[in-house]
Amino acid sequence: MHSGSARLPVFVGLLMGASLIGVCRGQGQEAPQNGGDFSQQLQPTKKLPTDVILVKGAWASASDSVTPVPEGGKVTGNVYDNPYFGLDYTLSPDWIRKYDGPPPSDSGYYVLAQIQPASTFKGPQRGSLLIAAEDLFFSPTRATSALELINFTRRNLQADYTVTRAPTQVRFAGHSFVRFDYVSPVAGLHWHVLATQIRCHLVQFVFTSRDTKLLESLIQDTNKMKLPDEAGLTAGMGGGAAPVCIRNYASDEHLVRKVDPILTDRRFNPVPVRIIIDTDGRVKHIHFLSAFPDQSKGITEALLQWRFKPYLRDGQPVEVETGIMFGRVPRPTPPPATATASTVKG
Amino acid sequence: MATRLQPAVLSAAILMVSATGVAFAQTDPGVRPGAINGQPAATPLVPLPLASVSANNPTGVVDFFNNGLGRFQDSEAISGGANNGLGPRFNFNQCSGCHSQPTVGGTGGPNNPQFTAIANGIAGPNDTTPAFITAHGPTREARFPFFFNNDGSANTNAPNGGVETLFTVSGLTLANGCTLAQPSFAAAAAAGNLIFRIPTPVFGAGLLENIDDSTLIAVQTAAAGNGLGISGTFNHNGNDGTIARFGWKAQNKSLLLFAGEAYNVEMGISNELFQQDRPLPGEDQLGSGLPANCLNLTGTGYPEDTTNFVNTSGTAGTTVANATILSDIEAFAQFMRLLAPPVQSTTTPGGAASISNGLALFTAVGCSTCHTPTIQSTQPSNITPSLGSVAVSAFSDLEIHHMGTGLADNVSQGGAGGDQFRTAPLWGLGQRIFFLHDGRTTDLNAAIDAHASSGSEANQVEANFDALSASQRQDVLNFLRSL
Repeated sequence: MHSGSARLPVFVGLLMGASLIGVCRGQGQEAPQNGGDFSQQLQPTKKLPTDVILVKGAWASASDSVTPVPEGGKVTGNVYDNPYFGLDYTLSPDWIRKYDGPPPSDSGYYVLAQIQPASTFKGPQRGSLLIAAEDLFFSPTRATSALELINFTRRNLQADYTVTRAPTQVRFAGHSFVRFDYVSPVAGLHWHVLATQIRCHLVQFVFTSRDTKLLESLIQDTNKMKLPDEAGLTAGMGGGAAPVCIRNYASDEHLVRKVDPILTDRRFNPVPVRIIIDTDGRVKHIHFLSAFPDQSKGITEALLQWRFKPYLRDGQPVEVETGIMFGRVPRPTPPPATATASTVKG
Repeated sequence: MATRLQPAVLSAAILMVSATGVAFAQTDPGVRPGAINGQPAATPLVPLPLASVSANNPTGVVDFFNNGLGRFQDSEAISGGANNGLGPRFNFNQCSGCHSQPTVGGTGGPNNPQFTAIANGIAGPNDTTPAFITAHGPTREARFPFFFNNDGSANTNAPNGGVETLFTVSGLTLANGCTLAQPSFAAAAAAGNLIFRIPTPVFGAGLLENIDDSTLIAVQTAAAGNGLGISGTFNHNGNDGTIARFGWKAQNKSLLLFAGEAYNVEMGISNELFQQDRPLPGEDQLGSGLPANCLNLTGTGYPEDTTNFVNTSGTAGTTVANATILSDIEAFAQFMRLLAPPVQSTTTPGGAASISNGLALFTAVGCSTCHTPTIQSTQPSNITPSLGSVAVSAFSDLEIHHMGTGLADNVSQGGAGGDQFRTAPLWGLGQRIFFLHDGRTTDLNAAIDAHASSGSEANQVEANFDALSASQRQDVLNFLRSL
């Protein structure tokens, strides 16, 4: 408690103490027991690994490890393979995936792979390829299709970029894409973007380089890419080997039984969740894009009790994939004292 | 007393920084010489307030600024002085000792006052200066991501992450026989269980405090679809759910909370927000707390910092006197809130053309996706006109982003995980010495390089930066040092 108007010189009296360092050091101190903040072991049996994220915040997880998830793609040899999207992409010679991407974001954005030339690359110009996805169920842009999302990108492009190819529908690898090119004149960097839609996600390939010839050759290489039948600008709604994807399917219209999750901690993060509903109307797979462990546990316990009306296509029940946002948007349902079930008419 | 930056020391710092940049084709120009914070009237001990504060609008506000500035520089004592309550554990005894570069309110200076804390009788003679505190290294606080196992290894099932205060009062005359052991820093280092944080500068902090959440969310939305691999989120205040924005992980909601926590954690002074003397995280966990003879060392009871119910200076009823009624943490918060942001140099280093080009390149490669150059605008202010309805050129989106394995410190704060950090505001960067959350480098090149690692949102931007020519990268560095 003081006003700040009167200040004393630094502690002259305490300087006496400084002269006694050699005398006093160690006196009166007992070595604390090992544990907590203390240890007398200067050669521990093991050391924490470096370059590892051990303490995670909200993170991606899934109810099983068998069902593919968007972030589960891998580079094997020189092929990027993503079972969730049914995507196989052969990398250019001497290009590698140097780093893993960040986890999916709570707005539904995925860095699937970042590809760039290895140090052994002999080419004259360098470049990079970002393969990314955005979940159209959760995009903050409110875009409902790949084309809308690319147009959003164009509208929000900063003024010092120049658009060299407005979003245009093109065909590569037997599928329709939107292509969008722009350049930063000051940097001399060019961006060529190819985007399509798969399982209600925008999937995009962003090529960046100073060399437009290199970019064009990389773009043409995408013709070798393998994609699922559904991939396309006006398609991309699942089906075939994948479930059909339907926005806001977890609504009263389709639900037969709904149990609210009990979330014990009051947090404020968005918790985007994708679920796959089997042909009997049960939730067979849950994918948390971003959730704390206690959130994923509570939500999983609830979702496994939900029941949907079977979704029929051509008279036959098919699996459905949809998205639900828990947590911040929409506001969570206040947790009841115990789990309750509610039955929706119909 | 805090050691202030002198011109000779500044030159040495510049040389040191330049020497570390030789591995890169472009060179960090080093700490920008010239006017402090780009403000000719600022001095090493007197930073400038916002324009409306200088104009004393509203009447009396400048007295509150000056009062806070004075208290920010006070040296705290254990007891018996004008400013009491230090300890029993602490990192230093004066706000401005650590927030000194390039003037009061900044970050760590070239001479670390923690290095001489024992010799100067601030810390107890029984203490040992930890090996990571060096004469000219970064001013630091230390944390152990995990508690120890009995064998000295880190117990990864027991996350810690709290501040392990460097010093104690043990052996000092005024310590009243209080004897405490310092945390086991050497053992923590041996176990790889030791991380650091350096002081965040607070220039312009009142502007950051006064940005409405909706504005920040709009900035976040506009950056969606960026094609750069970036998608940040916010840390939220646990009480009301609004966006928190101060500290390395945006864990603190307001400047008052920031001040109250620092007073308690960094200096061991209980206050009206944090009413108890703070034990180490482990002492608390083990149920022992602080020894009885280490409590209430002032002899006045708790909290040690309180509202002054009677003004202690000036004529009653004047604004000079009114300012003395505040508690220290309120005065600190007002000082930080009313501080002017740094002013960018248009010519130094490298000349106007290079700086201008550097900004354009900074935007072109994608740095500005997170380091948002300007946020439009603050809320109307009920404190002083300069805080209200103005643009904030802090070069930050105030979001937290995944920064990958290379920068992860494995400390969780609020909603931020071990690899998530707030986009550090870059205003004033031109006159900072140490970079990144732990002050690991004095070289901007190394700081930029550290943005790339597995799990980082910045990898694509880093690749774009690397794709620039050496001359272009130099322009970016010149631009950054102009801030």
